[in-house]
Amino acid sequence: MGRDGKTARRRDGKTSRESEVVGRASSSLSPHHPMTPSPLRLEGALMAAPVLLLVAIFTIYPVGRAIYQSLRIESPIFPARFVGLKNYQDVIGGLFFKEAAITTLWFAAITVPILVVIGVLTALLLNESFVGNALLRVGMLLPWALPATVAALIWKWIFLDSWGALNAGLYATGLIDNYIPWLTTPSLARMAVIVVFIWTQLPLVAIFLLAALQAIPNELYDAAAIDGAGVAGRFWNVTFPGIRPMLVIVTLYETLMAFTNFDIVYALTQGGPGTATTMVTYFTWVESFKKLDFGKGSALAVLIAIASLALILVLVRAIPKGALVEERT
Amino acid sequence: MRKRSPLRRAVIYGGAILLALFWFAPFVLVVVGSVLPEVNLLSYPPTWFADPPNLQTYQYIFTGKIPESFEQRGALRSMISNEVRDVPRAIFNSIVVATAVMLINVLLGSLAAYAYARIRFPGRAASFNFVLMSRLIPTVAIAVPYYLIVQRFGGINSYWALIAIYSVLTLPFTTLVLTLYFRGLPVEIDEAARVEGASSWRILRDIAIPLALPSIIGAGLFAFMLAYSEFLFALFITTTSDRRTLPVILGALSANTDVTWNMLMASITVGTIPTLILAIPVWRFMVRGLTSGAVRG
Repeated sequence: MGRDGKTARRRDGKTSRESEVVGRASSSLSPHHPMTPSPLRLEGALMAAPVLLLVAIFTIYPVGRAIYQSLRIESPIFPARFVGLKNYQDVIGGLFFKEAAITTLWFAAITVPILVVIGVLTALLLNESFVGNALLRVGMLLPWALPATVAALIWKWIFLDSWGALNAGLYATGLIDNYIPWLTTPSLARMAVIVVFIWTQLPLVAIFLLAALQAIPNELYDAAAIDGAGVAGRFWNVTFPGIRPMLVIVTLYETLMAFTNFDIVYALTQGGPGTATTMVTYFTWVESFKKLDFGKGSALAVLIAIASLALILVLVRAIPKGALVEERT
Repeated sequence: MRKRSPLRRAVIYGGAILLALFWFAPFVLVVVGSVLPEVNLLSYPPTWFADPPNLQTYQYIFTGKIPESFEQRGALRSMISNEVRDVPRAIFNSIVVATAVMLINVLLGSLAAYAYARIRFPGRAASFNFVLMSRLIPTVAIAVPYYLIVQRFGGINSYWALIAIYSVLTLPFTTLVLTLYFRGLPVEIDEAARVEGASSWRILRDIAIPLALPSIIGAGLFAFMLAYSEFLFALFITTTSDRRTLPVILGALSANTDVTWNMLMASITVGTIPTLILAIPVWRFMVRGLTSGAVRG
């Protein structure tokens, strides 16, 4: 599976079905689309107005306000005044921000690849028929549907240092003689956050990839089998090109989720031990709502927003043209 | 389907068992923890099953009757997390807020979605993209300004502030999903109705909405679920226990290092039931939406 395989796959991937989809999606909102009645009607604007107004009010003003107050000292303790870029300098120059930024990058770099790989395996598994498949498919929605704080609490009970279920179980089966301090050892606490994040996100990744898998026509597999392709050959030449658009979407989405993960850290580790699991969103929350420094908090928030948007742009650029169109279907 | 080799079967069932353990074992542990006396849970070495399980934690959450094990003097502790008594109220709050969000999504979402799917009007593409792109802003970035807006309008500790914020967070997705769905309906029906002189409102009310009803309900339930689970905004907008939502109450319990663990387990179990009830219809909606879209292509 080198570079040659990749180009071959792309050529293979352009089936007639895919190009049809491209044509449909690219004209989805254009006025010349045959499905759209031609006369301009104002009632359309009226119908869209409530959603548009609500979203606009709660987007334009808050974003403007966030930028404005990031340039000021705003806190209940000090008189508000304009300080220019000082908040940004303080935040970026501060030791804790760098730590939090590194922790966040590191967290995303580990969790997203794991999620995607396990997600593909899970989707392949659920695409097979076996006893209990339906139960697994329905039940797996629960970890995702739960409030993230609840998910974190459930796992806190498992990982707890002094009477967690994991320690009790390992002790009872004789695997350990002393309890392991899962949540107060920096590296283990980070691992715990990763496990909980994967637990809550894997269902969504798997379900999206499963949907993509099921859309691959069986004839493609039959054709590959006739050509003598083995399990690996079928995967790289048929399955992978088929799910690639969905893989891109899922990777994008999960990267964003990893960058903005807050609830799990809040409920599981409170950013600790020390600052081992403090990521930028948790750090922002501490600055804004614990230290009540809204100016610095806003500066941080603006930085996160810029970083996320930059990340999205970079990833979208990195996607081969046409890989995203199936999102619209 | 071809006959599977024994190895293939072993891999499939092995994988399925691993997945089931990973996903479901934590729930089992929580339910088990909720019915055991806390003394047993806290014991070292572990003696979880030394005493028989009971439902007294649940009784305490709903009636306030203190479990026997807490009434003995000299027991491991005489403290009890009375915050768990707020759990039923918190579930109620969460359901009130989430139901309102669901109704707003269903109503405003289908209106906007129909317009975007079927009607040409000035600024259509631009406003559609704007609504979708608004969700790319990380919530933590707008948390402080939201707080200040809500404070300005006296919405701290109110249902309506939460409802408004969650509606803004969920409407873009609802609009997108329903727009895609409406666009998939046969356009001939619309055209026939127009020839008969029906207005857009009439077509939406009498044709499009009845046809799309399952999807609309699905999208509404999806919005319900997100609103039921939201934590960050609820955390700073609600200030008293008669307005706090379930994620906030449970989050507060988790931050308490001296929490009564079996009470916490019971609270989690109780708080999970609404999600459990909604999980199946929402899942159907998601899978059908994803697969039917692909099939239509």
